[in-house]
Amino acid sequence: MRSLYIRKFLTNKVRWLYVFSGGLVLCTALFALFISSVQVPVSTILHIIMDKTISLGWLDDIARNEEMIIWNIRFPRVILAFCVGASLALAGAAFQGLLRNPLADPYTIGVSSGAALGAVIVLFFQVTINGLGSFTLPVVSIIGGFAALFVVFGLVRLSSRSLSIETLILAGIIVSAFIGAVVSLIISLSDRDSMTQIIYWLYGSVGMRGWSHIQLILPFMIIGTIILFYHYRELNALALGEDAAENIGVDVRKGKTFILIGASLLTGAAVAVSGSIGFVGLVIPHLVRLVTGPNHRHVLPISMLVGGAFLILADLLSRTIIAPKELPIGVITALIGSPVFALLLIRERIGRRG
Amino acid sequence: MINLKGISGGYAQPPTINRLDLQINKGEFFTLLGPNGSGKTTLFKLITGQLLISEGGVYIDGKNIATLSKIEKAKLMAVLTQENKVAFDYTVEEIVSLGRYPHQKGILKNLTKKDLAVIEEVMELTYISDFRKTAFRRMSGGEKQRVLLAKALAQEPEILLLDEPTNHLDIKHVFQMLDLLKKRQEKFGLTVFAILHDLNVASLYADRIAFLHNGNILEVGDVGILRKEDQLKKVYDVELKSRAHPTLPKPQLIMTPSYTVSNTLDFNKSYRIKQTKEYIHVEFKHPLRTISNGVIGEGIQWLKHFCNFHVTKDYNCSEPKSDLQSRMIKHSIPHEQAVGMMTAVVLEDAVFLEDEFEGIPMMAVVTAGTGNAVDITNKSNTGAIQTVGTINIFLFIDAHFSDGALVNGIMSATEAKVKALQDLKIKDSQSNTIATGTSTDSILLGLTQQGEKTPYAGSGTIVGKGIGQIVYSATKKAVKKYLQRVHEEQWL
Repeated sequence: MRSLYIRKFLTNKVRWLYVFSGGLVLCTALFALFISSVQVPVSTILHIIMDKTISLGWLDDIARNEEMIIWNIRFPRVILAFCVGASLALAGAAFQGLLRNPLADPYTIGVSSGAALGAVIVLFFQVTINGLGSFTLPVVSIIGGFAALFVVFGLVRLSSRSLSIETLILAGIIVSAFIGAVVSLIISLSDRDSMTQIIYWLYGSVGMRGWSHIQLILPFMIIGTIILFYHYRELNALALGEDAAENIGVDVRKGKTFILIGASLLTGAAVAVSGSIGFVGLVIPHLVRLVTGPNHRHVLPISMLVGGAFLILADLLSRTIIAPKELPIGVITALIGSPVFALLLIRERIGRRG
Repeated sequence: MINLKGISGGYAQPPTINRLDLQINKGEFFTLLGPNGSGKTTLFKLITGQLLISEGGVYIDGKNIATLSKIEKAKLMAVLTQENKVAFDYTVEEIVSLGRYPHQKGILKNLTKKDLAVIEEVMELTYISDFRKTAFRRMSGGEKQRVLLAKALAQEPEILLLDEPTNHLDIKHVFQMLDLLKKRQEKFGLTVFAILHDLNVASLYADRIAFLHNGNILEVGDVGILRKEDQLKKVYDVELKSRAHPTLPKPQLIMTPSYTVSNTLDFNKSYRIKQTKEYIHVEFKHPLRTISNGVIGEGIQWLKHFCNFHVTKDYNCSEPKSDLQSRMIKHSIPHEQAVGMMTAVVLEDAVFLEDEFEGIPMMAVVTAGTGNAVDITNKSNTGAIQTVGTINIFLFIDAHFSDGALVNGIMSATEAKVKALQDLKIKDSQSNTIATGTSTDSILLGLTQQGEKTPYAGSGTIVGKGIGQIVYSATKKAVKKYLQRVHEEQWL
């Protein structure tokens, strides 16, 4: 009976974690909507959102400009921040599970750089693929991410037989460096205007994007999320190693392919709308795992929520810290992420030695 | 059950496994043995599907496993290898529940009540229920292997495939794990196919054994295969002997290293004798190959201390062995390395005899009493008369005997003893016929194992004759001394 009690308690604990992280998202979102140069009362904010989404307003006279600020500028920005953070954190969790490596993330294994290169090419050449229209950017971005992923895996396969942590990250760095050089080349070839545009975009930002960008990321985000959520058991099984996972009935090749597709969709789409924002996919799943345990059934959704909330906060910081100027959001995440990454690297080494 | 029909496969060219046939019956513990590089693991991987079968097929109950889906295969067979790395801090329970993967249905794939019951059961079975919330990575090697076994059993497989699952484990965990599997096999008819590298462990657990050598099955059969010393020597290139397990009807292999220490010792200077009223202690510098029926040190062994303790004539101890042990401890004689006998005879009357027969030095120590003399051929049963009467013979020989020769030597010594009693006309008091010995005689033969090995020590050999002569004269002398003392005591 004791075990039943514990199990009940644990399911409760997990339920509380969902409640907590959901609440975190709502609070940070409200906070981000509230704090700004032009402060709008919380009740008005809530009214505008309710009115716009489910036409259930209760206030009569809302200033037109307040509505504009909240609905057309701040709200899409918060939603976009959430989407990007959630996508990156989820992709990170999936990569880490797939590679059995808590240091993997779209940024460290080069997928972000590939996606960024794809996006830069679209921005630079101003190309539009027929039939894709505005979706050209995310699609090319995703393809770029895939390409980088293949190159990284190819390098690892060629240099060592096992998918070791060090080789993978090294390969990621090599590929990222190469892509960085190509991006620099493109930048130096471009005129002053598109140069600043590209550089600013590269630093990463969710500001001044509007609803159109949410429309860009949402379909990919939904598909990627469904794919990954569906494969949470395969991610758990892969912790045993690929052979052992195969032995308990997992179709490893199929599972791996789907997980890579899902994670790359998420990364590519996130990079396409916001530029390359690092370390979210690395730090968030790791922190979540510390609380929920490694079971992907909970790691995936909670990482999404926490990642979203984290990026909303990071965005808030980026636009308030040196207001009225804005810091690129990638700077904030990197400032927080790199030390954590270093800590994890050390911890992992100690853990393996012990 | 499992039928390997002409399968080929493996990375090498020609393939490591080439057109191999093998059949494993339902519910048996089948073990695959063979030296490193014989293709065991390749064959194993061909069965699990890790390696591609280039020719032939693996059939389970008549079905080719190549036609089964991964899920169907996982429901049929589970795999346990020596690999036990797991990423992230999964708890034991989470690892075990991964074994339910092939049984989970529906879109959400939640663990059902049945899943939970199975998980609970296999955790009980493998004694890991108490660790359920512990992180797998923090467990010891033996515990990890038990968890992975529980995971494999959670698949509820009909067949369990094991690739050296006990490789890094100490003997406690090896036996614990294999006992567990054996129980499962007997209770649920689980078929076990295991690669083991310890021949002796395989002998204890396997129902049938296959020997793989250079990718070919050399032989398939029961544990009797492990009695074929020549074949084993050829396959493993190690000097070995097949011996019987002391309590089970199974062979055990004893390996001899190719290096040898040669130190010739002078027999006459290699021992020391201590004699008190309480005990006689003969100590050799080096262990001797011994055969004995002493209270301590029975059977065939290597020992260096030989003791004969004096006890009262109405000595009646329910545990003579532990009594002797404590006596030895008292005199700081290591009883694990000793033969121990007891006698009620006055130890001052012991006879020490050194002699040499055609260059073979021998030394005999005999204490004798004939109060309990018995004619073994007489029907009448001796009652419980407690008088002084045991003949204890120690005989040390500077020679090299095979185990058979040791038994031969015992025969020779016994014949000589009987002859001595005969010549002295010692009688069985009940039947009044010539006695053949006493009711509690003990004997010890100790060999230095120097020189050339002799397979015989009977009356047809020099050493056999020597044994006969020295035992005869020593026994005769000892019995005479005893009779003398009895005579004197009567007149006192």
